[in-house]
Amino acid sequence: MATLTANPPRLGLPGLLKNATVRKLLLLAVAAAVLVPLADARWASGSWPAALTVDLSGPLARTSDWIIDNRDSHPLFLYFFGHVSNVVVIAVRAVYLTLLAVGWAGVTALGALVAWRVAGVKLALGTAVAFLACGLLGMWVPTMQTLALMVVAVLASIVVGALLGLAAGLSDRMDRALRPVLDTMQVLPAFAYLLPVVLVFGIGVPAAVLATVVYAAPPMARLTSLGLRGADKEVLEAVESLGSTARQRLLTARIPLARRELLLGVNQTIMMALSMAVIAAVIGAGGLGDRVYQALASVDVGAALAAGIPIVLLAVVLDRVTGAAGEKLGAEPEPHSGRGWLYALAGVVAVAVAGRLAGRLDWPDAWVVGIAEPVNRAVDWMTAHLYSGVPVIGGTADWAGHFTTWVLDPVRDGLQALPWWAVLLVVAALAWVIGTWRTALTAVLAMAAIGVLGVWKPSLDTLSQVLAAVAVTLVVGFAVGIAAARSDRLERALRPVLDVFQTMPQFVYLIPVVALFGVGRAPAVAAAIVYALPAVVRITTQGLRQVDPAALEASGSLGATSWQQLRQVQLPLARPALLLAVNQGLVLVLAVVVIGGLVGGGALGYDVVFGLAQGDLATGLVAGAAIVCLGLMLDRVTQPTERRARKGA
Amino acid sequence: MDTTAPVFSVQGLWKVFGPKAERVPGDPELTALDPAELRERTGCTAAVRDVTFDVRKGEVFVVMGLSGSGKSTLVRCLTRLIEPTAGTIAIDGEDVRAMDRSRLRELRRHRAAMVFQHFGLLPHRTVLDNVAYGLEIQGMGKAERRERAAEVVAKVGLEGMEHRRPGQLSGGQRQRVGLARALAVDPEVLLFDEPFSALDPLIRRDMQEEVIRLHREEGRTMVFITHDLQEALRLGDRIALMRDGRVVQLGTPEEIVGAPADDYVREFVRDVPREQVMTVRTAMRSPSAGLDGSGPAVRPDATVSEAIEAVARAGAPARVMDRGRCVGMVDSDTLLGVVAGTEQPAPPGADQPKEAV
Amino acid sequence: MRVRTTAAVAAVSSLALLTGCGAADMTKQASPFANAQGAKTVTLSVQSWVGAQSNVAVAQYLLEHELGYRVDTVQVDEVPAWDALSQGRVDALLEDWGHPEQEQRYVKDKKTIARGGELGVTGHIGWYVPTYLAKQHPDITDWKNLNKYADLFRTPESGDKGQLMDGSPSYVTNDKALVKNLKLDYQVVFAGSEAAQITQIRQFAKEKKPFLTYWYSPQWLFEKVPMTEVKLPPYKEGCDADPEKVACAYPHTPLQKYLNADFAKKGGKAAAFLKKFTWTTEDQNEVSLMIAEQKMSPEEAAKKWVDSHESTWRQWLS
Repeated sequence: MATLTANPPRLGLPGLLKNATVRKLLLLAVAAAVLVPLADARWASGSWPAALTVDLSGPLARTSDWIIDNRDSHPLFLYFFGHVSNVVVIAVRAVYLTLLAVGWAGVTALGALVAWRVAGVKLALGTAVAFLACGLLGMWVPTMQTLALMVVAVLASIVVGALLGLAAGLSDRMDRALRPVLDTMQVLPAFAYLLPVVLVFGIGVPAAVLATVVYAAPPMARLTSLGLRGADKEVLEAVESLGSTARQRLLTARIPLARRELLLGVNQTIMMALSMAVIAAVIGAGGLGDRVYQALASVDVGAALAAGIPIVLLAVVLDRVTGAAGEKLGAEPEPHSGRGWLYALAGVVAVAVAGRLAGRLDWPDAWVVGIAEPVNRAVDWMTAHLYSGVPVIGGTADWAGHFTTWVLDPVRDGLQALPWWAVLLVVAALAWVIGTWRTALTAVLAMAAIGVLGVWKPSLDTLSQVLAAVAVTLVVGFAVGIAAARSDRLERALRPVLDVFQTMPQFVYLIPVVALFGVGRAPAVAAAIVYALPAVVRITTQGLRQVDPAALEASGSLGATSWQQLRQVQLPLARPALLLAVNQGLVLVLAVVVIGGLVGGGALGYDVVFGLAQGDLATGLVAGAAIVCLGLMLDRVTQPTERRARKGA
Repeated sequence: MDTTAPVFSVQGLWKVFGPKAERVPGDPELTALDPAELRERTGCTAAVRDVTFDVRKGEVFVVMGLSGSGKSTLVRCLTRLIEPTAGTIAIDGEDVRAMDRSRLRELRRHRAAMVFQHFGLLPHRTVLDNVAYGLEIQGMGKAERRERAAEVVAKVGLEGMEHRRPGQLSGGQRQRVGLARALAVDPEVLLFDEPFSALDPLIRRDMQEEVIRLHREEGRTMVFITHDLQEALRLGDRIALMRDGRVVQLGTPEEIVGAPADDYVREFVRDVPREQVMTVRTAMRSPSAGLDGSGPAVRPDATVSEAIEAVARAGAPARVMDRGRCVGMVDSDTLLGVVAGTEQPAPPGADQPKEAV
Repeated sequence: MRVRTTAAVAAVSSLALLTGCGAADMTKQASPFANAQGAKTVTLSVQSWVGAQSNVAVAQYLLEHELGYRVDTVQVDEVPAWDALSQGRVDALLEDWGHPEQEQRYVKDKKTIARGGELGVTGHIGWYVPTYLAKQHPDITDWKNLNKYADLFRTPESGDKGQLMDGSPSYVTNDKALVKNLKLDYQVVFAGSEAAQITQIRQFAKEKKPFLTYWYSPQWLFEKVPMTEVKLPPYKEGCDADPEKVACAYPHTPLQKYLNADFAKKGGKAAAFLKKFTWTTEDQNEVSLMIAEQKMSPEEAAKKWVDSHESTWRQWLS
């Protein structure tokens, strides 16, 4: 070892010896030199050796059958899951009936007045407009269904998340146990969560709510724990020095001190629950998601959009209102806030009663504006004119064809042609160079698990799509991000666009994308790019803008051109942000590439869709597990030093 | 020597951080090591090493040292915010280390309150509720504790700001809130952990005067941690000077400045204007026979600089008068000797190198 | 201390969850959105294809306007729909293409699902090429000649083989086995959803490109893109028993209706109506075309059909 590390200077790489990267790579090379011949001799190279796979389909199929057969008789289901499911159904129903009883006018008034008290007049107007728009689009009842489901799911997520976060925040042991789990859950595609819940609860609202809770609770837990741990040590010491009990400390100091994180957690939970509420339509969530899903079945982009817009509006309003509530914390309390709430409540009751008396609880049919037709015409025009035969640049179908032939195929074939141990080595090297030996180990184990599950080939196929999509996303995203960081006007113009694209349910992208790019992997990649781009642009812009102005000033005073400033100061200093952008880009792209199974993306996504559609949980679960491993691996390979609390923003 | 029972009595106190810390204080081989060696051998850091002192009732006891000297750890050990590794601590004769949870809470609630360097205020509460916080912890009703808090807020000069949040106050104002919070519980002892080091010099001076005023008015016992020698000399009745976890010298400001125990202390007090710290009592000579009843009279606890003024004005030696009796005299030579640092107080008087001030 | 508090909280909350403490059979829990505002509600399962939407649209229209029910629809894939039907989360499934395994389990063994009679439509799955292609190359409609034309069907997705496009993974398909067992030089490419498949077919048709696709009738798309079936080795009873060794065509299936067993017994007029609901392929296609092609809402399409076919549906209500 020592002699090896002493070599590089003589190779004309002075200084590199001290470079940790080189040392790590050399170490890895040595390990590989020993292990690879052994592995090669034992199992041969090429694709993942069959001797090292475990076939889980038999046991999984038996488990699935057992659950279906015993669901109405086994005590575990009768006395535990049955009650869980029952509570969910009752709760959702109660909220739904309340919302219907309050009527559209009452709900709109309630939303607006809460927004007014929490966030001011402007957002109150926005909220009212958003609710009215839901009605105008003819989506009032589905919106209320989604809202009812959301209310229950979000509350449950917050309670579960806060309890877990509390445990992790107060006990170091719990924290050590929970943190990696929560970190990992945060990067997994929502799709991977569906199958296990369906297995236990069957299709329907309980399964949808629980999948949503599983998906949306981790950010709450992480942020709660973060907030509790991040509290000012001296404040806590001061509180302790006054002789407080542990309970007093928690209630009067630790939790209030963490309120900013808690509120951010609520915000995150709501956003994730909303994005899941749509995906959960696949397992019978009903509501807006179901409308999107149904519309897509008849290739009706307009109708899908009509159901998608309320989701976007809900998301934007909820995001802004909870965000504003967070900013308002710590400001001077208004003198008559209690009375303000009272007025607000009285107003809501008045409007609701008026609505009731007028017999106008349901949204009047006459007030529905159909947007489906113009949208569909636009989409038709687009596909008719852009699909092929556009002079000079060729049609979108040609691009898709070229992209498939020249990018996707070589990457996939290349990956699949690599000996399995080489893939593991590359993963190890990347993860170790960017992160620590721990992240490298996790990444390698995750990748190996994929092999063991026996889905090596489809996983590499999915991986190739992810890599291609991420490459495009990063090139475009960095370019736009840099431009936006240099021009305030561009950034302002981009903001609403990014908001909409980020909150629009991924499903809505799928059909236009097929219309433009045909069926196959290309549209899956295209949809993934559209979905991941906003986050990458946003993180890049933020990262560049947060570069210390003093450093910029210093380089400016030395006469650097703005290009030099960008290249030599801004980009290097924004490196953590850029790495985060890569990480987020990968995570988001993976989420959509998987859904791309619905448009011919094949590979793992197809297996999950197949598993759900055919009730073949064995196939679905194995593919789901492989997606989890892939997500874990990709995340660890690009593990930024400091993961930000916010997903995709 | 003061004969009243000490408020705090600390004996052989140790605080060692690190793996298996408890073995360090008892092992003579380890205690002999210096900090760097100790860390190398055991991976432990001794923040407080074998510290012994008493805090007397009504005095301002200052613990002074540079950062890392262990003074903040020491003050936290007093109420077991940091659990000591070895040694004894007694408050009014009661063993603090033997206290159970509820007894310890009692101690923190009623007997010793602390003021922190970065204030430690709750940002989500108003000034009034921050001040009332200690009372709330004790379980006092809302109306009563607010009334009490309002009185204390007035006492520290924050009237009219009761409903602001800490975020809306200046640093000095925040520390007044911190002080008020500690005062509100009417503790026997006030503990200050570098309370003013985060403040601007002018405001720091104001706050020091505030503390002196409070001490004069209430006579409350105070333990004051600082890294600022000026502050220590200004406030302290007695000063414990710490280095690397040990108390290197414990004495009145005069003793510290006048008779540094070692080179470290000497270096430390080098720039102190001695005439403002040293008193006439240490500088005086026994009254010589030739002294008549004329000449200015000074008290024995007057500072040397006051005596200089008197001597210079009269142009003659001054008599040191204690309760109408002449106990000694000072003339310009003796006073000059103090300023120059050549004159040694009688008791410790080893030979001192002559150095310019 | 802290850990204890947390544990206590967990214990209490799980206890709260179990209050009532009796057994709770989640297979008997209806959708929370059902029966809102006191109306009698029927929940129908809609599958993702438009034909199924047409069934549901007309049934929904009649249930709402003639019988005074409130109707909820849930989109569920075929196999999970059986599960949902068994649990009573869905009351009726109006178009099933044959799932012997599920029928055995739920209808025969558990008796939680009851047969609802035939829909009146006969379904058939097969391989299709566009009619314009069949006219150009008449012999292409025999599977034996498919290899000859494999080049025609190449796409970037299928690489150097011909592309056989399959649809939603939820549909019954033996295509992978067929390609293998018939030694065809083709690659099965799954569109992943019917929507994607239809979109792709129409793009191909617009440019008169050749394509080979898994498709089924009745289907409204035949009206827009005329397609001709490719003859596969003829279907014989039992030739598709082993999914790995299938080498024959798909059968003609009379489509069936299924009802939740409880609903079938206690569903009153709604259940009786759904049992009698039966119409022809042409009827179904008429409604499908209105929905999918003219982009009418299912409700409008149903209304239009109902207005012009009163004699047909009057019988269902008797």
